[in-house]
Amino acid sequence: MNLLNLSIAQMFDFAAPILFAALGGVVSENAGVVNIALEGIMRFAAFFGVWGAFIGKNPWMGLLWGLLIGAAVGALHGYISVTWAGDQIVSGVAINVVAMGIITYLLEFVFKTTGYSPPVPYFGAAHYRVHISFISKIPILGAFSNLTLLVWFSLIAVGLIHFMLYHTVLGLRIRAVGENPHAAETLGVNVMKIKWFATILGSVLAAFGGISLSLGTLSSFTNAMPMGKGFIGLAAMIFGKWTPIGALLASLVFASAQIVQLLLQGMASGIAKQIPLGFYLALPYLLTIGALIGVVGRAVPPASDGIPYKKEG
Amino acid sequence: MMAMDIFRRIFFGRKEEYWWMKILVPITSIFVALIVGAIFIWSTGRSPVLAYKYLFGASGLVPGPYFKQHFAEMLLSSSMFIATGLAFAIAAKGGLFSIGAEGQFLVGAITAAYFGYAKPFASMPTLIHLTVIFVMVMLAGGIWGAIAGWLKAKMGIHEVITTIMLNWIALYLIEDWLVTGPMKANVETGVSGTPYVSETAKLPIILKGTRLNISILIIIVVAYLTWFLLYRTTFGFEIRAMGYTLIYNMDAPRAAGVSVDARITQTMFVSGAVAALGGAFIILGVLFQFPPVFEGGYGFDGIAVSLIGQNEPLGVFLAGILIGGLRTGATAVQLAHIPKTFPSIIEGLIVAFIALQELIRYLLMKLLVHKKNNTVSGGSDEKAVSGGVAK
Repeated sequence: MNLLNLSIAQMFDFAAPILFAALGGVVSENAGVVNIALEGIMRFAAFFGVWGAFIGKNPWMGLLWGLLIGAAVGALHGYISVTWAGDQIVSGVAINVVAMGIITYLLEFVFKTTGYSPPVPYFGAAHYRVHISFISKIPILGAFSNLTLLVWFSLIAVGLIHFMLYHTVLGLRIRAVGENPHAAETLGVNVMKIKWFATILGSVLAAFGGISLSLGTLSSFTNAMPMGKGFIGLAAMIFGKWTPIGALLASLVFASAQIVQLLLQGMASGIAKQIPLGFYLALPYLLTIGALIGVVGRAVPPASDGIPYKKEG
Repeated sequence: MMAMDIFRRIFFGRKEEYWWMKILVPITSIFVALIVGAIFIWSTGRSPVLAYKYLFGASGLVPGPYFKQHFAEMLLSSSMFIATGLAFAIAAKGGLFSIGAEGQFLVGAITAAYFGYAKPFASMPTLIHLTVIFVMVMLAGGIWGAIAGWLKAKMGIHEVITTIMLNWIALYLIEDWLVTGPMKANVETGVSGTPYVSETAKLPIILKGTRLNISILIIIVVAYLTWFLLYRTTFGFEIRAMGYTLIYNMDAPRAAGVSVDARITQTMFVSGAVAALGGAFIILGVLFQFPPVFEGGYGFDGIAVSLIGQNEPLGVFLAGILIGGLRTGATAVQLAHIPKTFPSIIEGLIVAFIALQELIRYLLMKLLVHKKNNTVSGGSDEKAVSGGVAK
């Protein structure tokens, strides 16, 4: 593979966790449930994914464990913020803080190590990748010839969620609940049920993101995970104006900024070599702000986003 | 009763029925969180009794051996959590969700380090030197915060995005440029990170034989000023008005003549300046230089501290003391074979139960109010009570 294809493939690897997190946010916030627990859910899933893969000796078991824990943590967020109409931000912060402590605890408890887990079977291994050999020589298209399953899942998920939100009754109900839950209730929509569904689905998507971190390109869990990827996903969701396609584009913008940083750093010669490392590392974040100033206008969330819903009467 | 009323007036301002719930809910949350934490430890086959004994024994919150040392360390770390907690609370009162305290804390820290060792300042008397440092720290942190505010006000970019991005930008520019480049200590001295600050830049010790310095006094004053700003000034009134209405996307303050754009930038400036204070505390009172690898997290914990304290200055102060204590006791927990991140599980659980306050309120109401009304006022308020409980 040439440098261009390699860079594009790498961009998708970078984008997948962010994209999954952003999609999780899109689903849940379209139903009016703010989920800043994405970061914590990714951490839970990244660890349980590795734990599952370690016990089951294959990444599929890891995927299952990761998704289950994602759903469970999502259910906690749902119980607090939907059933008991608790403050969604507070609940999210709580999950993030608990995730920080509990996973460090479990890492030591399960693997008897601090810092990182032992290597486990992962989706990045050659025989788990999706080979499409006949396009591997074509520029740009060739980038898709050797991606991991998780990257493909992330791209397919964009299509599925777009279809669900804008072309099905369920999607219409989700968006109605996010815009005006009282009106939706009057029309016979079960607001609580929809909010619960969106919260769990959103959390499962974020869990996919966590798994792509620990079982995608890496094959182990490191204690720094997910290194703010959940928050970047949250930013990508807002950047993409709460739509799945927007989230995809935003994630790609961010991931390509990372690639630009790596390429610049690698190719730097002469004066460019004098530029301190910090500038290169800060570049993706500066570019993201720049892109927001240049391209996108005011971000308008769903009208009742973040407001706890209490049934009247 | 009189004293209670004054207490309520001072710290809450508004008259609310069952205002004491605002105090009882966090306290109940803390107890329930400790119980759940104990069950968790027990389920992993370790002793919760031992864990809490070590944790609180070294927390500086309860008297015991070496209490003076622990107490000093507790106040030392509490002052930083209170700084970032107040920063979050100020923004939150204005309806802004700022995750930026982490970056503003770093900006404050590096500014304090620079003005602490830089030549022309290092020969000034302590009082003047510290004043110069704190002014610069608050300016730098304030500007870092105001950037996010300005981008929100003028460009409509959500503060969550900008504060997250600014956190990373601050981290990389400081750790991978300033500390390893222009601000690097002289190699011959063998110091990694920035040079150490001069003696005149170190915060004066207030408890002999410990590291406790004036940072805790400074933050008490700042907490009071924050309360004053929020509840006793027009500026505070306007940002609280923004906070109430922004949630519902209403334009009432703007219609009433509040220049919302300016207020957003100013609120973020104040928030950033207060967070930066925490950064100055850690440099001028604990580390005395900016190290090559900075162990952060104060900004994110500040969010939890503020939420436990219900975003009220006094609450933030008390929550900061609690979290500071738990973190001080953290190292001792390892004696019970429990990782030192255990306190953050407790911290998260407290926040979780704070989020569940509807449930806790409901249970407390059932438990306390009915009993009280039946015995004291004879059930005449019964209707009002059940009206408040049923949702």
